[in-house]
Amino acid sequence: MSLQLQNNQRFDVSSIQFLTVDDFQNNVRSALSNGYRIIALTPIDKNIPEKIIAVVTDNASSSINIIGGQFDKSKLEFESFANEFPQTNYFECELSENYGYVPLNHPWLRPVRKQNVILGNKPYHFYKLEGEEVHEVAVGPIHAGVIEPGHFRFQCHGELVYNLEINLGYQHRGVEKLLLQSNSDQRIILSESIAGDTTIGHTFAHCSAIESLTQTQLSLRAEVIRTIASEIERIAMHLSGLGGVANDVGFALPSSSYGRLRTLAINSLLALCGSRSGRGLFIYGGVRFDFNDDIINVVKKNLEVIRNDVAEINNYLFSSIGVLTRFEDTGSVSNDLAKTIGLVGLTARASALEEDARINFPYSAYRYNPVSMITLSSGDVFARARLRALEIDESLKFIFDQMDNLPSGELKSNVGAIKNNSGVVSIVEGWRGEIVHIAFTNENGNLTQYKIKDPSFNNWYGLSLALRKTAISDFPLCNKSFDLSYAGHDL
Amino acid sequence: MNDAIKIRLLQGDPIIHDVRSVKLPPLFRGLPRIEDKECQAGCTKCSEVCPTNAINLNPVQIDLGLCVFCPLCEEVCPEKIIHFTNEYHTVVDSREKLIITKQVKSISPEIASQKIRKYFGKSLKLREISAGGCNGCELELNALSNVNFDLGRYGIEFVASPRHADGIVITGPLTQNMTNAIELCYEAVPNPKIIILFGACAISGGIFQNSDSIQSNFLEENKIDLYIPGCPPHPLTFINGLLDWLDKK
Repeated sequence: MSLQLQNNQRFDVSSIQFLTVDDFQNNVRSALSNGYRIIALTPIDKNIPEKIIAVVTDNASSSINIIGGQFDKSKLEFESFANEFPQTNYFECELSENYGYVPLNHPWLRPVRKQNVILGNKPYHFYKLEGEEVHEVAVGPIHAGVIEPGHFRFQCHGELVYNLEINLGYQHRGVEKLLLQSNSDQRIILSESIAGDTTIGHTFAHCSAIESLTQTQLSLRAEVIRTIASEIERIAMHLSGLGGVANDVGFALPSSSYGRLRTLAINSLLALCGSRSGRGLFIYGGVRFDFNDDIINVVKKNLEVIRNDVAEINNYLFSSIGVLTRFEDTGSVSNDLAKTIGLVGLTARASALEEDARINFPYSAYRYNPVSMITLSSGDVFARARLRALEIDESLKFIFDQMDNLPSGELKSNVGAIKNNSGVVSIVEGWRGEIVHIAFTNENGNLTQYKIKDPSFNNWYGLSLALRKTAISDFPLCNKSFDLSYAGHDL
Repeated sequence: MNDAIKIRLLQGDPIIHDVRSVKLPPLFRGLPRIEDKECQAGCTKCSEVCPTNAINLNPVQIDLGLCVFCPLCEEVCPEKIIHFTNEYHTVVDSREKLIITKQVKSISPEIASQKIRKYFGKSLKLREISAGGCNGCELELNALSNVNFDLGRYGIEFVASPRHADGIVITGPLTQNMTNAIELCYEAVPNPKIIILFGACAISGGIFQNSDSIQSNFLEENKIDLYIPGCPPHPLTFINGLLDWLDKK
């Protein structure tokens, strides 16, 4: 009953079968009970909300399945999946907020980005805990550091956190809506600004989606340059994350050393494309800048310093008893819980879930040059930090392999017109995890829907649950080990 | 202990001793230069491709408050009139000075009034407000405190509370959902206080200028002290702009 696809495979909208509400629900339910994971729940045209699709994926068969549903315009309601499959919870909230759907018997319908839509203009009531010596801590939207805004509400008993509610939406700029109104040059710049710390990841997904819709074949050289840039971004942000967790346990020397190494990584991007965050590198059909000998030398020199020094610093950090005491068994997410709530990316791999789009849904140069799946099983701050260290090594290995064997080819292939009545699902593994971009076009080849899912959309829920039964003083550490994006969530 | 010493030795001396004259790589896109040449008759290519409408024609002008420093205009210009140099000294104190014309070959340093320099010159504490920023600008502001740039050595620091601050730095296009928080934060900063806008989004909305989810009244209602263009601006742009402004060596 569902349309089965591969990553970045263009399909005709007419090949989606739009089922009745009951059949739609049964199909989604049966897919989810067979271990599929939901990655999108969205209308295919923002002006026709009654035709929706649920996109589910299966790692084992590397398949992406689309289940269509046709609702009655005046009755946009369905029995919520969230009680049985908590991973759908937030997707349903979002669908409800954006298109007026009512997921019946939803356990906790709450605002995702627009407080006033779900609630009318009534104030939002946070979950409350009552009892002697129970107290509440409210933080944000503006936090103490130079970071993005979000509101955290802790229900505590002494030092112990019973519940943490995370309210976001402060960064809501209307990215998805703007993408539909924009021309192609603006779309690339917009996708670079979905999450400025994952500039390459999101632009990669966006360009892949459009290239599939235009049936553009990239040269191998362009693909390799893209994946190298993507791995440099991963290294830079993992170094930043490691520096963050070291800082949060008050360990200044490794923290500042990681900071120094991160500068080398982002300056490698600067040498390649003139921007420390990799802006301007991607264009439809390829890349704008090439590796010449000078740039290869600069990048290799920087990465060699990282390779050498990061091993020493990791060793120092992870052999400190004080650090391990704070890291181990803090903010644990069990394998079961991670699977139930649908965690993705690094956070999922730290709980022994084999979730890595580079391996499960190979794209671009990862099809020919695979990377290894790295998982750890403890699901705590230690695992999330340690995994970063291991992934840096793997990324370095990948980059050195690629740079020594750069294929030849044109930097940019010709890009034709966007195909009519088509759709595409593009999945990319950003440094945080799975990034999904879904695009649909109408009979004139104009975009009718553009749906973005940042890994943070899945993982904020994980942070909230990881905090239960930990000390409130461990919050910064847990938060940094998840290292989620506010902008990527708020879109 | 030995390990700690070893790591400290590996660290070496990564600090940029002279932040005034660092040379950035040739590909870095800083202050655009508009050559003193005539455009081809009727050519509007640069203004057509500009994703943020930063370019006006007859004569060619680039508004750095809108510019996201993508190389599109440079790429399409048939006469190669527009060229992004790697010059990062681009901080100004009024919106009009961000308009780059053929005559503008460099941006002269801004110096604050004597009163401001006397008040903030020795130590300036800033509260950063991320208001719809994508985290690109936030990362660069964070980078200012790392061992390379070490902003703290000049007495300029980011603080946790607006109560401890002498002014605010805004990043992002000021979303509707942040309107209230920005007002509250600014009110909490004791007088006298300054406002610095960091990045194209904060100055003009940048690529988000047409979004109906942004609300930038705050900028019209208050006096802005410094504009730092870029997407995101380089940390050196910030340091140099502030050192000039406070007249620090």
